[in-house]
Amino acid sequence: MNAIEINNLTYCYPGCERPTLKNITVSIEKGDFLAIVGNNGCGKSTFCKTLNGLIPQFISGDFQGSVVACGLDTQEADVGTLARKVGYVYQDFENQIIRPTVLDDASYACLNYAMPDYVQRGMTALEQCGLSGKKDDFIWQLSGGQAHLLALAGALALGPDVLILDEPIAQLDPRHADTIYDLLREFNEKHGKTIIVIEHHTEYIADYCKHVMLLRDGELAWVLPAHEALTRVDELQASSIFPPQATIAAHRMKKLGALDEKTPLPITVEEGAQVFKLRENAPGPAKTESRASLLEAASFHDVQVSYRSVKGEPHVVFKNLNLTINKGDKVALIGSNGAGKSTLMKMMVGLLKPQKGDVKLGGESIRDVKPEALSRRISMVYQNPEDMFIKDSIGGDIAYAMEVRKVEGSAARTDELLERFRLTELRERDGRLLSGGQMRRASLAIGVALNPGILLLDEPTANLDIATRKEIMRTLEDMKDITETAVIATHDMQLVCEWAERIIVLCGGEVVADGTRDEIFGNADVIKKVGIRSPEIFSLGQAIDKDALCYTIDEFLERFEGRTNA
Amino acid sequence: MKAVEKLSESIFDKLSIDFLRNQVLKNAYGNNDTVIAGLDPRILLVWYLFFGIVPWFVSDVTFLLGCFVLVAVTTLMAHVAGLILFLFGLGVFTQTGYLLIVTLLFGGDATAVAPLLVLTLKVATVSLASVTVFSGMDPDKLANGLMWYGCPERLSFSISYAYRMLPILMEEFQNILLSYRLRGNPPEHETLMGKIKYLIYQLKVIIHSFYPLMLNTAKRSRTTVEVLEIKGYRYAAINKDVKKIKLASLQVTNNDLLFLSLSFLWVAVTVLLSTLI
Repeated sequence: MNAIEINNLTYCYPGCERPTLKNITVSIEKGDFLAIVGNNGCGKSTFCKTLNGLIPQFISGDFQGSVVACGLDTQEADVGTLARKVGYVYQDFENQIIRPTVLDDASYACLNYAMPDYVQRGMTALEQCGLSGKKDDFIWQLSGGQAHLLALAGALALGPDVLILDEPIAQLDPRHADTIYDLLREFNEKHGKTIIVIEHHTEYIADYCKHVMLLRDGELAWVLPAHEALTRVDELQASSIFPPQATIAAHRMKKLGALDEKTPLPITVEEGAQVFKLRENAPGPAKTESRASLLEAASFHDVQVSYRSVKGEPHVVFKNLNLTINKGDKVALIGSNGAGKSTLMKMMVGLLKPQKGDVKLGGESIRDVKPEALSRRISMVYQNPEDMFIKDSIGGDIAYAMEVRKVEGSAARTDELLERFRLTELRERDGRLLSGGQMRRASLAIGVALNPGILLLDEPTANLDIATRKEIMRTLEDMKDITETAVIATHDMQLVCEWAERIIVLCGGEVVADGTRDEIFGNADVIKKVGIRSPEIFSLGQAIDKDALCYTIDEFLERFEGRTNA
Repeated sequence: MKAVEKLSESIFDKLSIDFLRNQVLKNAYGNNDTVIAGLDPRILLVWYLFFGIVPWFVSDVTFLLGCFVLVAVTTLMAHVAGLILFLFGLGVFTQTGYLLIVTLLFGGDATAVAPLLVLTLKVATVSLASVTVFSGMDPDKLANGLMWYGCPERLSFSISYAYRMLPILMEEFQNILLSYRLRGNPPEHETLMGKIKYLIYQLKVIIHSFYPLMLNTAKRSRTTVEVLEIKGYRYAAINKDVKKIKLASLQVTNNDLLFLSLSFLWVAVTVLLSTLI
């Protein structure tokens, strides 16, 4: 039996001229683990919302064709009945949590549908998601990963047969991402639930999913078994989806003639290790050298800092932090959610004063300096670009800091920045209404407007699809010569490997490792302790040759070639 | 000058939004292990009906003093957040308290002071009773209590949802203010004139923050609205069974009866005293 059957579905949002979904006919088998891929705006989220009846019942519009989910026609059954069959976890999951305490939220939907055992159902869902120890906690005490698990538990409590997750791991650190996918696999295999994910991370698709569905401009391109789907490298790349790095490497090797045409493309590290071997005349591993000077840009001396908590003792983030960042450093700050990355940045810009110890910029203490006075020397770009938009147009936002300081030639510099970040046509638009990548570029332009010596970026590539992420990474690369010193807090290990010259690892309020990428990624103990997921191409290199340190596909191709008898 | 200085410093620094947010959360949820929080909301609402209304119609100083002492004790028992108590003090003072002090300073005698004292006592008693009930109980309990008395489900949902949204609103507000802090250029505030300018600047920033605040919150609540639909909020509002399940958690215990009888006893004693004096 099929979990979902769709016949000739065409849907157009109210007020839109062109349909978002065109003529889709597909059936999804019960017990499938399906990944939906496609470029931004191709209708992935819209498609998923037709599955639980939100479209067309709650969001109207022009709806043609039919969708049958778990035997219920979504145009006839009401949203409530459908919600018990099809669970949905949003991309912005924190807005999905409605009640103040954990158990309350998990059982809320069951209560609303008048299930007498609602508490028990909520509790069971929490246990399944590994949150039973947190049942009485308040939702604002949860970390990002835990909040996501709670959103999942809330959907699970109703006992749906189908679970839909919109970009489940976009905001999570790798350890939480693995947890979520392991859970999904368990639901899929043990409880026979049908799982549908919208996912950009093809390495997770390779590890966990059974089928892949490609949407292209609202039309269904194909549904294929995961292995076959991920090896259609050209088609995927045309839709701005990047197959696993092992697959790309093998694909490129075939084009170069270094790999036999008939060899099936690998999609995981394990498969890759069977396909590649070390070149005979491989160059020795290239050492990464740090180019930073020894002049101090910022430093922390015995810093202790804690946050007020609603109940009980304040939460201590750093107990005794000592750290120096030098001029010219390009630092990546990594560590799990809640390790103190944002706190560290807030201290550097003076928004947060440590309870004990001292923070210095250029050797000078900033304890008694107001943040406004520092903004020419240091600048910070938030994780949420929306919070940087205080004017009603991005042109105004970029100019704001210069205008209030009466900087000469501010108009010319605004034009230049708009040009540089490719925002000139958008200058009159409100930042909030832009696409993810445009929003991010605008926030970067705002951050560098005053030409600060130190630039801090909090998760600049979070929540972006891979194509936009590549674009932002290029922008960051370009920006290297505008700002002298830069610090990026991120979970994105590809960004870390390609951009950073120095990596600082935070864990439990301490700096547990600090060095070049070779020193960090080559150190298995640290990787394991902090739960870093190395870029796939790096793991692949290590799986074949323990001494290999390849961070990009180019570096990999230089050292490895295909096995002849693979 | 001191006052201006204090005020101008305070908006951003001492009374930071972070602090406010913390206090609001503390007030709503941080004291759910007190005796008051453990009481049945229906009983507390009845109790409140008495102490919220009766003092307005009685002018006997002994009786009012008695009531005041009682509600002061319950407020202490409820572990109300410091900010709320401060606001209470400020409120009572600006309502009537300052008149009382001025009257005393300018040689007002007992005939002038007595009515003012009575009024101050009335205001203070009623406010403290409200503080006990509305901030001693967590919002969900209060909502359930109101629902039992027949208030529409939408009202009780609004109360608990407002408390859910408040921290989000404050977080957004805080982030926008931080943006102004990082990029703005406030006037120098060493001199008195500077301080006044700084105060005006801060007020302007707060007003300007409103537009981004509303847009950001609206953007975030789009998902919430859809989720409410999926989670069956609309069904619950028309389903009698849901109401029954929700109210089944309410239970009158010995503590409730003890609380009511002690309050009753105390009031009876004060009434007796006032007739004796």
